[in-house]
Amino acid sequence: MTEGAFFWFIVCAISALLFFGIAAVVTVRGIGELRDLLKGTRRGQEP
Amino acid sequence: MTFGTIDWLVTIVYLAGSVTLGVHAKKYVENLTGYMVAGRKVKLSLGIATFVATELGTVTYVYYGELGYVAGFSGFFIGILTMAAYAIVGRTGFIIERLRRLGVMTIPEFYEIRYSRTVRLIGGLTLFLGGVLNMGIFLKFDGIFLSEVMGFGPQALVATMVIMLLIVIAYTMLGGMFSIVVTDFMQFVVLSIGMLVATIAILFNVTPEQMSVAVSSAFGSAGNDPFINPHFGWTFVIWILLSGVAAGSLWQPGASKALSSESPAVAKKVFFWTGLTFAGRAIIPMFWGVAALAYFGQGHPTAAAMPQLLGRIVPTGFLGLLVAGMLAASMSTYSAYLLAWSSVLARDVIACTRKADFPERTTMAITRVATAIIGIFLLVFGLWYQIPDTAFQYLAVTGTMYISGALGAVAAGMYWPKANNVGAYGSLILGAIAPAGFLLLEKSRDTLPGWMQFITDVNIAGLLSFFLAALGMVLGSLTTQKISPPKILTQAEKP
Repeated sequence: MTEGAFFWFIVCAISALLFFGIAAVVTVRGIGELRDLLKGTRRGQEP
Repeated sequence: MTFGTIDWLVTIVYLAGSVTLGVHAKKYVENLTGYMVAGRKVKLSLGIATFVATELGTVTYVYYGELGYVAGFSGFFIGILTMAAYAIVGRTGFIIERLRRLGVMTIPEFYEIRYSRTVRLIGGLTLFLGGVLNMGIFLKFDGIFLSEVMGFGPQALVATMVIMLLIVIAYTMLGGMFSIVVTDFMQFVVLSIGMLVATIAILFNVTPEQMSVAVSSAFGSAGNDPFINPHFGWTFVIWILLSGVAAGSLWQPGASKALSSESPAVAKKVFFWTGLTFAGRAIIPMFWGVAALAYFGQGHPTAAAMPQLLGRIVPTGFLGLLVAGMLAASMSTYSAYLLAWSSVLARDVIACTRKADFPERTTMAITRVATAIIGIFLLVFGLWYQIPDTAFQYLAVTGTMYISGALGAVAAGMYWPKANNVGAYGSLILGAIAPAGFLLLEKSRDTLPGWMQFITDVNIAGLLSFFLAALGMVLGSLTTQKISPPKILTQAEKP
């Protein structure tokens, strides 16, 4: 494997970790936020 | 692999769930603020999910996959630049924080506050034209991806495009941003799973060693180094960095996420954390494209190579999950983009030809009709237009048509007291000239005189656009301070 390719594989691995890591946290926390958003908005009220 | 019964089942269950959720969310949409910026109640995690879902469509995978296939690893730097640009905007709050504080719904609204209603009309028009041209290739690329992954081949392209269009238009017209926030969250989860499935399938079938050898044999050092790769070079690197900062703060579908955040502080955090995912958003699909190069070799249709690879290596059952993920990505992107461009047309172009704004109900009606018309345009344009260079560069240059002028007009309007109407016109019009020149003239580059050849280089046209826009703002404002003094803003209007 070339040095250049090795460097870009490392960059790719870090990017993938960041992406899927943030996705996992956002998924867990987002469920609660979505529930709050819908709870606070009912038809006939200012959303 | 073939698209089997289980795959169909997964896809249909996902689509049915998505539509049910969208219709359910519609009951929360009461007025224009709910329709366009979700009542400005979106918190951090939900903001990140909707932002990523908006900016990550099937078209994103295809154009980045194409770059991986035609340029090897050297395109990976785009992910790093984009991440840096969005993280800078998020950390500093450059433009977005002040826009959110002003409570505007679209970027051109700022032009009326800071300059005049006519500047808003011109700004709205360049935004609408740049945005719709930019979106013009989405449907075709989505069609290529889905027809290849599902194993139907190019003959199913038109049918796939029509079905996609019907689904996304119905979906967008039903709800608006509130519906988008609710459904985007689900789309975000499904598209992340789809990306994980595709990445794991590739790692099981193509080794890093094979990719390294394929890139070296196809491109030599240019496969690793963006500065010597013929697709990129210094002009491209500088252009993409400028473009990243400008698009980060001013691209309407993305900026609407800041405008729908519950506060300016949340808007900044949403941009920062979303920015950190943007390296993966670019690099992961490019990695798939490099894998397609290793698997097939050169000579495949560039945009179809990566989808064909996924169609072959992802096992039956998981293929349905992947297609559901891609549909999720597309639906969230289309709905946000259609809503962004149709609301700009309704509020900033059509309404600005009159003295007063339309009533809310009329604006919403125009927005919905515009959504349908833009959808039909996407179908016709996608089938007819042959993109120059790579899809990524086409998208970057059409986006630049608007964001270069907007960066001049909005940034100067916020941070430079001498910015006036003439400067704003200069910035918006000069910023659009070089990209428009490229799009109009690149097909006839063989007949152009030598001194005009530079405009047919997409990277030069893109970079030039930012310089011309800045020049238009500075020269236009400084030379006309007496005949067109800068507008004096009230305390509430100050950004």
